[in-house]
Amino acid sequence: MSNNYFNTLPLREQLEQLGKCRFMSIEEFSDGVEALKGKKMVVIGCGAQGLAQGMNLRDSGCDVSYALREAAIAEKRQSWKNATENGFVVGTYEELIPTADVVLNLTPDKQHTPVVNAVMPLMKEGACLSYSHGFNIVEEGMKIREDLTVIMVAPKCPGSEVRNEYVRGFGVPTLIAVHEDNDPKGEGLALAKAYAAGTGGHKAGVLMSSFIAEVKSDLMGEQTILCGMLQTGSLLCFDKMVEEGIDPGYASKLIQYGWETVTEALKYGGVTNMLDRLSNPAKIKAFDLSEELKQIMRPLYNKHQDDIIDGTFSRTMMEDWANDDKNLLGWRAETAETAFEKTPAGDVEISEQEYFDNGILMVAMVKAGVELAFETMTAAGIIADSAYYESLHETPLIANTIARKKLYEMNATISDTAEYGCYLYNHACLPLLADFMKDIKTDVIGKGLELDDTGVDNARLIEVNAALRAHPVEAIGSVLRGHMADMKKIV
Amino acid sequence: MNIRLDNLTVNFDDRFQLDEINWQLDDSQHWVITGANGAGKSALAAILAGAGESVAGSITGLPAKVGLVSFEAQAELIERERKKDDADIMDVIAEGTPVHEILHEGSRNPALIQQLVSMFKLEPLLERAFRKLSTGESRKVMLIRALASEPELLVLDEPFDGLDAHTLEMLQQYLHGLVETVPMVLVLNRFDEFPDFITHIAYVDQARLQHQIDCNDQQAYNDLYQLLHLKTTDLQVPAADPDTAIPKLDPTQPLVQLNKINITYDGQRIIDSLDWTIQPNQHWQLSGPNGSGKTGLLSLITGDHPQCYVNDIFVFGFQRGNGESIWQIKQFIGYVSTALQWEYKVGTGLRNVIISGFYDSIGLYTKATDRQKKIADEWLALLGMTDRADTPFNKLSYGDQRLLLIARAMVKHPPLLILDEPCLGLDDMNRQLVLALIEKICAGSETSVLYVNHHAEDKINGIDNYLTLEKRESNNH
Repeated sequence: MSNNYFNTLPLREQLEQLGKCRFMSIEEFSDGVEALKGKKMVVIGCGAQGLAQGMNLRDSGCDVSYALREAAIAEKRQSWKNATENGFVVGTYEELIPTADVVLNLTPDKQHTPVVNAVMPLMKEGACLSYSHGFNIVEEGMKIREDLTVIMVAPKCPGSEVRNEYVRGFGVPTLIAVHEDNDPKGEGLALAKAYAAGTGGHKAGVLMSSFIAEVKSDLMGEQTILCGMLQTGSLLCFDKMVEEGIDPGYASKLIQYGWETVTEALKYGGVTNMLDRLSNPAKIKAFDLSEELKQIMRPLYNKHQDDIIDGTFSRTMMEDWANDDKNLLGWRAETAETAFEKTPAGDVEISEQEYFDNGILMVAMVKAGVELAFETMTAAGIIADSAYYESLHETPLIANTIARKKLYEMNATISDTAEYGCYLYNHACLPLLADFMKDIKTDVIGKGLELDDTGVDNARLIEVNAALRAHPVEAIGSVLRGHMADMKKIV
Repeated sequence: MNIRLDNLTVNFDDRFQLDEINWQLDDSQHWVITGANGAGKSALAAILAGAGESVAGSITGLPAKVGLVSFEAQAELIERERKKDDADIMDVIAEGTPVHEILHEGSRNPALIQQLVSMFKLEPLLERAFRKLSTGESRKVMLIRALASEPELLVLDEPFDGLDAHTLEMLQQYLHGLVETVPMVLVLNRFDEFPDFITHIAYVDQARLQHQIDCNDQQAYNDLYQLLHLKTTDLQVPAADPDTAIPKLDPTQPLVQLNKINITYDGQRIIDSLDWTIQPNQHWQLSGPNGSGKTGLLSLITGDHPQCYVNDIFVFGFQRGNGESIWQIKQFIGYVSTALQWEYKVGTGLRNVIISGFYDSIGLYTKATDRQKKIADEWLALLGMTDRADTPFNKLSYGDQRLLLIARAMVKHPPLLILDEPCLGLDDMNRQLVLALIEKICAGSETSVLYVNHHAEDKINGIDNYLTLEKRESNNH
């Protein structure tokens, strides 16, 4: 069994690594792709992310080719087609890896161990191995040959967007890191910066982080607020509405598209703006519900973070991997059978505002989940910038997958680690919220408050508004959104 | 059929409003809707297909089955296909709906579909994903969809734009064959394209139906022609920006040299072993039927086509694939095409759209200088859009967007100006303006023009080099 790398470090270093995260200024990228000039880059994996990054790097003047397994080439699989139709040189590991100065591992997490084991012996002395996720290094404890430089470059968007934004002359926010145990020549940062510039990421903002901070925050975000909370919330809200006699088609639509609509407000103006979209009485109601939710769920968030930090989570998950994903696949099938999943969205018109007005509980759940995830992460030593990106920033991206294809597809399409985490969360959270849900009525999910008089107590409203705005996720959020807006819309 | 619009005011997503329309159409009539870009022609046509929200007045007698072809409808379908693309969440490359499925969506008459497919010579494309079609090819799909739906009223918004000569003639003949059975409403910008079966003309201006003309009334017809016509004698092209000067090119080297170029899709060779050299100060016209590879060929030059890395291409001093970036290539090129217009979906203001031409970006991500703003304002004045400098680009009509993108392509006075069917969607007046601009630029010494066009009558003075691509039969290696 593998050795958890994080657990081998002394506490002092664990804390230092968890706390790494800095928003880089665009001036730090003035050398562009210079550090990669004359170097041969070989990409492993030609899915959407692999193809998009390769095309961007090539268009920035880098020398890019694709190494695929012999079978993929012989059978002309999709990955082979993707690469050859776009005019790339394609070869086997044996042909290309020994010539590579930089090897870009863009395969799914689960394949990292076999892929890296196959690739490492073929790599030339002093070359660089790049990851887009640190799980293999941090959780599986993969040891990389001492002469090799190990870096991470992780665009925080799906592959299609990585390509589209580049073509427009822009890029997507990107996280970079250097694995300090593997930086023999001290060139890791220069290579990571050049790689980020080659994909256009420097124009949209780059976060300098560490392998450990990336993994521990990414895992926490994806299994709690991002996937876990939305999944659990969807099931609870749907069943409640149907139980209360609301038309199932309406309920299904309110949830499927509601997450996307309310988190769009979150994306633009944080939790504050999301709640500001509600009427005053509804805002106070949502605030109270979310306080209650936070109190109930806090131990669960703590447990998730603790299990992630000490490696319990990854160990359990890898045991399931070794057991042919029995737990995971079983649960995936169960999700497909839930009433929400099986009820198609009704042919009813729901206006943008109505998603807020009739989805007060959903707003409360998003607020509770975002704040709890953020609070738990920062309490564990993860810096606020990281915690913001892995909670609030990514919630709308996941909400968008639910709007497209509901939960089953969300789970089938997110990473294996995210899905396994979501499975754990959902199992624990459904019973945890059972009592809370008993008191829930259609005024907060399905119908709205339907008040004749929307008056509120001044003092209470001031209190709620102040509490919303004072939360630390709002402070860091307005700074980071400010950076992004500066870059994206100078116009 | 007897459609009646009484004092009808229709709102389109709060973007646009047509006011107080009074109009009657019956079975025996065939209408053309015409007018300036942005006047509301497409909106008026779309009302007949049920678009927009009626806020005052009434509309009665709309038939149940209306066949609509328009850029908006085409863009909507493309957008629908794009949304279906799960590439970003599935991490696989999705192909999208094949053409034959798209064709069968609205029709219960497979025999008619088959007949139309054969007339439009679309058989080789039936299995291809709709999203992967060229502009002209997807237009044909839209036309077949509308015709095959056996409509009670046919509404065709600029149906002839983007079609090659052969298809154009075939379509016009086919429409003639429908004259007795299906009333038609055509939105047309060009007087010379009005079919002779047209009985009435609706002239739209400033969101109102201003004139209705019976085609038998010669005097009224001539007056309308004058109204649309613009004299473009005293035209000044705004200067380039000396601060964002393009690097000097070696005048003894060709701008573009393509050696034995191939383009292949799904094993089908679209361009086969083509040689082409563009020297400085040469002006070229590129033509060929839909699907002959014009756009592909151009994108090899601009660097937008991934197969530019497997061909022998020399552009602006760079042998491609030797460590140059596409931005080093693009700085020498001004470019406008329908594909660019579809990509250019931004809410930024018009001034910024023009300035983005200095940076070759879609949207603007760099702070503009005062001088660039001033140059952009000169272009806006030339286009008559000064009062709309800060209007969001995506709120403009199709034709106005096109005009803006032409200005964006020209703004930096590039060594190579590529205009891929620039006049698509432009009314007579603006077409004259654009053609006059292109002639001006041809007459100068700093820019080579590469012009793609189907319309033989849009001849440009100063262009004297011609390249014509032939459509290759499928599976011809």
